[in-house]
Amino acid sequence: MTSGDVQKSSRFVYLQVAPLALVLFFFFAIPVALVVLVSFFRYQMLVGMVPQFTSKNYVGLLSSPTTWALYLSTVKFTVIVLAITFVLGFWIAYFLVFHVRNLLTAIGLFLVCTVPFWTSNIIRMISWRPVLGKEGLINSGLIKAGIVSHPLDWLLFSDFSVVVAYVHLFTLFMIVPIFNSMARIDKSLLEAATDAGATRWGVVWNVVLPLSKTGIALGALFVVTLTMGDFFVVTVISGGLSGSATSGIFNDLQFLNYPRAAANAVILLVVVLLVAAAIFRVVDVRKELVR
Amino acid sequence: MNRQSFRPASQETGEIRLVNLTKTFGATTAVDKINLTIPHGSYCCLLGPSGCGKTTILRMIAGHETPTSGEIYIGKEMVVGKPPVARGTAMMFQSYALFPHLTVLDNVAFYLKMRNVGKDERRQRAQEMLHRVQLHALKDRVPAQLSGGQQQRVALARSLITNPRVLLLDEPLSALDEFLRLRMRGELKSLQRELGITFVHVTHTQPEAIALANMVVVMDTGRIDQEGSANIIFNRPKTPYVARFMGGQNVLTGTVVRTADGPLRLQGANGAQFEAATNEVALPEGSPLSFAVRRDRIKLRKSVGGKAATAPNEVRGVVEATEYQGSYVKVFVDLGGGVFVAYLADGDFFANPIEKGDAVVASWSPADINILTNVDKGAAGDPYSDAMH
Amino acid sequence: MAASPSSYGSRPWTFYALATLFALFVVFLYGPMIAVLILSFQGPSAALVFPLRDPSLMWFDELFNPRRVGDVVGAFERSFPLALLVAALTVVISVSAGFAFRRRFIGDTVIFYTAIASLIVPGLVLSIGVLVTFRYLGMSAAWYSSALGAHLSWTLPFGLLIMFAVLGRLDPSYEEAAYDLGASRWQAVWSVVIPIVLPGMIAVALFGFTLSYDEFPRSWLTVGSKNTLPLEIWTMTTNVTSPALYALGAMTTFVSFAAIVIGLTSIVAIQRRRSGSK
Repeated sequence: MTSGDVQKSSRFVYLQVAPLALVLFFFFAIPVALVVLVSFFRYQMLVGMVPQFTSKNYVGLLSSPTTWALYLSTVKFTVIVLAITFVLGFWIAYFLVFHVRNLLTAIGLFLVCTVPFWTSNIIRMISWRPVLGKEGLINSGLIKAGIVSHPLDWLLFSDFSVVVAYVHLFTLFMIVPIFNSMARIDKSLLEAATDAGATRWGVVWNVVLPLSKTGIALGALFVVTLTMGDFFVVTVISGGLSGSATSGIFNDLQFLNYPRAAANAVILLVVVLLVAAAIFRVVDVRKELVR
Repeated sequence: MNRQSFRPASQETGEIRLVNLTKTFGATTAVDKINLTIPHGSYCCLLGPSGCGKTTILRMIAGHETPTSGEIYIGKEMVVGKPPVARGTAMMFQSYALFPHLTVLDNVAFYLKMRNVGKDERRQRAQEMLHRVQLHALKDRVPAQLSGGQQQRVALARSLITNPRVLLLDEPLSALDEFLRLRMRGELKSLQRELGITFVHVTHTQPEAIALANMVVVMDTGRIDQEGSANIIFNRPKTPYVARFMGGQNVLTGTVVRTADGPLRLQGANGAQFEAATNEVALPEGSPLSFAVRRDRIKLRKSVGGKAATAPNEVRGVVEATEYQGSYVKVFVDLGGGVFVAYLADGDFFANPIEKGDAVVASWSPADINILTNVDKGAAGDPYSDAMH
Repeated sequence: MAASPSSYGSRPWTFYALATLFALFVVFLYGPMIAVLILSFQGPSAALVFPLRDPSLMWFDELFNPRRVGDVVGAFERSFPLALLVAALTVVISVSAGFAFRRRFIGDTVIFYTAIASLIVPGLVLSIGVLVTFRYLGMSAAWYSSALGAHLSWTLPFGLLIMFAVLGRLDPSYEEAAYDLGASRWQAVWSVVIPIVLPGMIAVALFGFTLSYDEFPRSWLTVGSKNTLPLEIWTMTTNVTSPALYALGAMTTFVSFAAIVIGLTSIVAIQRRRSGSK
């Protein structure tokens, strides 16, 4: 490559990145900006949005106890789901990386875990209904085995089912980054720790866990943003009994109250971004993802 | 890529001339105003530690790196600005860079494919080339199925099919194990003789360089310290750096005592006196001067009793350690102000064994003194990390 | 890969504990889907009871009958081409951008973080935004315009990250060797780089297809009046509890599986050919 080619290529680079930039601009940057804009509009019944700037939407939302209750509910779910997916994700990744001896088997098992990710979330979610329902698989099994006499009705359409559904859908997002981080750990570090007298648990606590920090942070980022931003799981699986921030937005949209929905959406976005920023302080995202 | 970029078969000379060649990466100068002429048909080794700029020079000759300033002439043409294929050079990469998605045959035929040679013809010619490197049987294999040595020969075939006038090799033997390395050394040397083209070979291993090259260029942080035949570089290093890098030399420093007539005399530390066989140096009295003596030209004898007057070309010290190396034994002597190493033939050593703690006198003949052009700035090299294997 | 030194190759108790955990997790993952698969073959009794009373294919039949179940076929005829389109565009745009990012250029950090932000922003928020954007432009939402764009804003970051991983691991010597042997920049890309990173590109296409085919929140407001399949399923869940839903689930999962199998087998086939095992 000559210097002349270097000049040409630097101009060509902009052409190469243009499609991505354009799509992101029109279908991400502008929409988000407009959501923020609309959140300051006024809403008139039967008329729709009126482009008059007002902060009534925010004031109304932030002073309403319902909003706070919904957000609290969302945070509650997120924390519980995060904890469970972390424990599950960490140990499954640990099993795959450190206990499975054959590399090909490990990759095969890893793929087995990921395959459900490629199928429809909605389907996976509603397939819990016949399993958790009053006449479903688990209840029938429990009754047949004589463990309970009446079907447990808290299995479905409850907070429990919401958590189960979230864990089912999102644990994979923990497994993948943690698996990635763990696989990059130099095995001789573990042997050195054992040589120095660490027990197996000590090795996990002192070596594996710190070195998987990046993967855990990325996994947490995914799980948090997906859980907080979800609304169909919460509406379908809880039967409307549990709330979340998104169900508030959903309701406003049903009534075509775009400004209020937009304001709520912005609040949600801010919360999500704050969490993301906190996690970004732990992980240098660009270095990690670009490798 | 137009056809004009492809050069016809190499009838032209493969002489390489580097003129004030410089390469900077930001604030770092990797190559600093290098001037070098490599004659046509020579086997030239660029030798030096990592970071000295030798690979950068190779890549600039190849055209994979653009000089910051300076000129490169191959044959009579100035090639800076020309794409690699138009220079008549071919490069063998350290990792071989065989295309993993192509068979061995298609790898070798790649150049011809880029020239739009028809499928049958280019396969035919690739097969002939594979015959020459004796890998014809593997033509339908994929690179991942080949051993390191086989991969290297495929890379060689792939380069040679371009009919280059210069072959550039980037540490070609570093990835091979010891036995394979030594065998490939012989093959490279005979190949170069057979082809008659210029080889430029980058390495950090001294035995490799002096075994293969008829022109050795020793480099240190972007500059050339010394260039010459392997014999000259080894026996008459010009600077302390080259002496230490090539290994097998002791570097000593003294101050000039008398230069008028008679042999050159130097006053060294602890009352040592040095006398050279020649008197070519025109330095005033009192100036510091360094010289090198080959370690295998040192005689050792145990010293008896106190401080007898020292004869010229003798130093006294205490043995720090001995190391058995098969046909010779290394003896490390502490001079009280530096370490000194002698290689004694095993027969001589075991006839009169010397042990750690013995007081010894090391001596050599004046003819073995090799005056260096720079004054030694101190042991940049650790005598314990000897270069010669 | 075992880290703990085990005497004579026997495994510690933790292995069995973790293996059991793993097995349970797999059951947890696949159980419901298998249950749905089995239930979709249920007969007219439509009961959610195991074992099935009288297996039949009647519910699959129902799917093609839009009066009772909803416009499944129509929704599929929008979801499938949309997914193909998204996959194709994602590959082209991600690969192109991935190549651009091999060098630093003005604005590269901005674009990178915008792509990451696009991954993080909840789909619902984006959906609202795209709808509003189209309203302002006076255009109506449709699956081939607004939904397409909304899907791309989700799949492109994934594609970009995959291309980063793949191109980042690519040894630059391959391209230099190609130049050495007379390739122009285009020839080096086409004859050397693209064939080598082809498995990565297939992965990008797979991501693009499945993410779009299964996408719900970003489709929600942006498809206009005609639903894609996930949206149709959504309306059905709120109205319908018949096993037709499970039949639909089985079928749509089958399509996803087909995509995965095609994608993975082509990747595996390429890797095996490269490593030489025949």
